[in-house]
Amino acid sequence: MSETADPLDIARTEFERAMQRNIKGLGYFASPNPVLGASAKETLIARGTLRLYHYRPVVDEVFRVPVLLVMATTNRGYIFDMVPGQSFVEFLLTRGYDVFMIDWEAPGPEEKTLAMEDYVLDFLPACVERVKAESGEPDLSVIGYCFGGVLSLLWAALHRDAGLKNLITFTTPINFKAMEAFQAWSDQRFFNVDQVVETFGNCPAEMLYTAFSMLRPGAQIAGNVRLWDNMWNDEFVKSYRMFDRWAVDMLPLAGEYFRQTTKQLMWDNALYEGRMTVGGRAVDLSTITEPFMHVTAEHDHIVPAAASAPLIDMIGSKDKQAVVLKGGHVSLVAGANAIRRLWPQIDTWLGEKSL
Amino acid sequence: MSSNPTDPMAMFRDAVTQWEKMANDFGGQFLGRPETAQAMHQATGLALKAQQGAHEAMAKLLSAANMPSKADVEAIAARMAAIEASLARIEAAIAAPGVAASSAAKPKRTRTPGA
Repeated sequence: MSETADPLDIARTEFERAMQRNIKGLGYFASPNPVLGASAKETLIARGTLRLYHYRPVVDEVFRVPVLLVMATTNRGYIFDMVPGQSFVEFLLTRGYDVFMIDWEAPGPEEKTLAMEDYVLDFLPACVERVKAESGEPDLSVIGYCFGGVLSLLWAALHRDAGLKNLITFTTPINFKAMEAFQAWSDQRFFNVDQVVETFGNCPAEMLYTAFSMLRPGAQIAGNVRLWDNMWNDEFVKSYRMFDRWAVDMLPLAGEYFRQTTKQLMWDNALYEGRMTVGGRAVDLSTITEPFMHVTAEHDHIVPAAASAPLIDMIGSKDKQAVVLKGGHVSLVAGANAIRRLWPQIDTWLGEKSL
Repeated sequence: MSSNPTDPMAMFRDAVTQWEKMANDFGGQFLGRPETAQAMHQATGLALKAQQGAHEAMAKLLSAANMPSKADVEAIAARMAAIEASLARIEAAIAAPGVAASSAAKPKRTRTPGA
């Protein structure tokens, strides 16, 4: 902004914006939520909490190796497919990839016994086999987001012959002791995870949402003030609504899986310390030798750099790359920075490895 | 923060940003203290105990009325989920030949980075 702006111009602009705020503010409250995740797709697997989608290719010639996105179990997969022009799925499709996604529905009360073993030794392998059958290819690239990255790593380390061609993780935690706020709230001395699971069955989404909100206690109020300030700006409002809707649309976690995650990862830090087991099988991340890219966000308040950065050294691949980009936990994969920086970088790296 | 002194809205925006940073810093520090975590979990623990008690009382009531409890409904849902999983496996097995048959309509898998 110019330091010498005419006060009369400023006043005129602010008056116009105030008028727009009033007119558009009414429209905001009256209008429905934006339609998200609308890229054409087919559901290949719908089993309890598990969904496997295959997105309809939009080009006549695709790369040989299909791409499987693995969403975090706490949130909906449409973060990868917000709206046309702001969709990672759409970007991959137009760049010639055959795209699949593992997404999650809220686990039902009867799924409270689902454990890490179900996710890593059943759900992911079943989806991988289905992707291979659907594409007719023996291998695939996997892209995991946040805890979807953890599941991808566990699957990759325990299924060495499953056909992994390339592995990419976004904002994936590995050193859970470095997630200081979550450590404080799940302090073993005070947090009775068994009681939560015994009472609720599944860990309620509201509880998770509260924990995520508490990471930035001032963000919601400041966000609402900014929304009011920018009510005249259609682009801002559209973007705010998309991300706000996604952020509040959290999923409960299956009880046993939540209990294991808390005890093995938050309390014992087993994956980082090399003590992680799934179904009695030891996980050794150094056995992962396929090309690997690890993307972290500079201002990630959920998975800070100290929690995610050590992963790159733990992977056994010779061809591996750590990428640190400006942005936060969500804007890294779906914001303006993602469109400008991350997606093209992924395309360049993955394209030549997808032949 | 350097906002234009002649633009009160710019000053307001700066103030909001500074307040947010302060609230996040102080709030984060307060919420991250062990005493806060302890108090939070004590309150949650009490609420959970009350809820557990209510669940048990309701289960007894439903049993007396010869109606299915939450656990019974969950057991039925689990059986339905198992049937659903079996169906999904059968569906996948049946669909496999169809996948090969419809492959003619699929895009060629010969793309290269320069394409």
